Amino acid sequence: MSAETEPDDPEFGRTFRVSHTYRSLLYRAGLYGSIATLFVILGFPIYWMAQNAFKTRLAIQEGITFFPTPETFTVNHFDIVFNPTVGRYLLNSVIVTIGVVVTVTVVSLIAGYGLARFNYKHKVKTARFLLVGYMFSPIVLAIPLYLIWDTLGLLNRYVGLILALSALSMPFAVWLMWKYIQTIPASMEESAWVAGAPRWRGFVDVIVPQTKPAMIANSVFAFAIAWGDFTFSYILMPSNESTTFPPGIFRLFHSSWETGWAEFMAVSLLVSLPALLFAFFLQSYLLQGFKIRAL
Amino acid sequence: MATDTEPVDRSRRFYDDGFSIGRFEITPEDFWGWLTILPVLLLYTLVALIPIAFAIAASVHRVPLLNPTWDFVGVENYANVFQLDRFWGSMWRGFVFMVGSTVIQLTVGVWMALVLNKITRGSRILSTLVFTSYLIPTIIVTMMFLFMLDPYDGVLHAAGARFGLWEGYLLGNTQLSMTAVVIISSWKFSAFVTLFTLAQLQSIPDRFYEAAKVCGATTWEMFRDITLPRIYGALLVVIFLRGVFMFNKYDIIWQLTQGGPGSQTTTMPILAYRETFERGAYGMGNAIAVVMFLALLVSGLVYLKYLNPSQEVET
Repeated sequence: MSAETEPDDPEFGRTFRVSHTYRSLLYRAGLYGSIATLFVILGFPIYWMAQNAFKTRLAIQEGITFFPTPETFTVNHFDIVFNPTVGRYLLNSVIVTIGVVVTVTVVSLIAGYGLARFNYKHKVKTARFLLVGYMFSPIVLAIPLYLIWDTLGLLNRYVGLILALSALSMPFAVWLMWKYIQTIPASMEESAWVAGAPRWRGFVDVIVPQTKPAMIANSVFAFAIAWGDFTFSYILMPSNESTTFPPGIFRLFHSSWETGWAEFMAVSLLVSLPALLFAFFLQSYLLQGFKIRAL
Repeated sequence: MATDTEPVDRSRRFYDDGFSIGRFEITPEDFWGWLTILPVLLLYTLVALIPIAFAIAASVHRVPLLNPTWDFVGVENYANVFQLDRFWGSMWRGFVFMVGSTVIQLTVGVWMALVLNKITRGSRILSTLVFTSYLIPTIIVTMMFLFMLDPYDGVLHAAGARFGLWEGYLLGNTQLSMTAVVIISSWKFSAFVTLFTLAQLQSIPDRFYEAAKVCGATTWEMFRDITLPRIYGALLVVIFLRGVFMFNKYDIIWQLTQGGPGSQTTTMPILAYRETFERGAYGMGNAIAVVMFLALLVSGLVYLKYLNPSQEVET
């Protein structure tokens, strides 16, 4: 809190303190110092990745430079996307991510509506039980799931991975939707019923449009889980054909000597681009989501 | 209820009045309510409950991974697990990783949240960076840091060598690799603490601070007497969640070091993976997974019972 409007002269009860000027100065120095430090810590790795994505391989090997010069600038590394292997990984990632986002958004919307508007037996207990989902770790679930999926024929199938990842993002999504729908007055829906709308139309036309912020938050969090998932995909999609980007690029990194740092940085930059865009444009929705998570 | 406005021409259906199966009365509220939550519960059963039951079953059998024939061996797997030197070592290293990274994340995360809450100019860019580090895939974080620590072309490696902080490849250094993994994972996961805390900070009404300022409180006093008590509950929840997540963390450690050098960064999840997929001892891997799950469940219940952050979680 800025304290510049405060009177400077010592009043009673303030005699033993460091004078206000110094305190304020110290506070400002701390704040601006913190801001600068955080900018460097958070921004530097991303900046380093971005600038090296545009440098020739030779320029990276020759030493550390902070900007690509006109001689060393190149965009050729982005061609790695058209490499059949990497392209396949990216395509798989896109399919799985879309599947998870759609599943999570739709299922959590319905479950959240039920929790908010129906008064069924053991409702709160059921919701609490969902929170146990926080305790499930991908590795603990993936090891047994490996043989179960193998038996069911879901290994290396998109459906198997989509189901597993949706379950992982479900507890938070349902809670968010539940809390959000509770903030929509029930009377809005009731007025639709009075006008003769059946319950279903009331839900579709009155509730669904209003849950847009919660749906956006849920989609982005589901996106983050699906797009970034490594453990489930690494274990449940063992074949090179069907695996998603994170395990795929990890294997490529450990097997290929032909792909250089510049290519890896280029593809990393591309893959982190959606995260950057969501972070910039949708941050208020996401913070809203965390507000409800922190309830 | 929908029945209030039902048009006359529509015939009443069973779920409008409820029905009963034997002695169980099922009201329309129950029917529709359970129907809406059913998909979530089915998903949970398939992906969480069945696997855990399956893991418990597999942990009392000897199951070679490539030829899954089930040989009942009773508690032999568990006996072996507890005799493994690797197991106790991994337990300890997992504990170090969990506590170390949770403490760093908590400190840095709360610091970032306080700064973000006070910053006036450039807040959108700083919070974009914070959100990015939360949303960015773990593998990208790993690639960035592996590149920066690369012994030939890495900038952090060059800086570390210049200032004499470490010699050789940092992640191959037996003494420092764990510290490095803790710090890199904190870079990724501190943002969770920040966002959680920031959401709480923004819900503190300004009038509290205004009143304190009128009474002549310093910034520190305002922090101690207004901010801290208000975010205390959220902090307890976030410590719990971070502790659980970090104890279970598999991906970032595996990507950075695969548990190496030697077994310096082999935590419990890494050990479970190695036993299962590298040594092919599926039953054994499941036994480790069950032990992890139980350890977490017990410590989680104890934590929730004694620190009771539940007022914050409750509806």
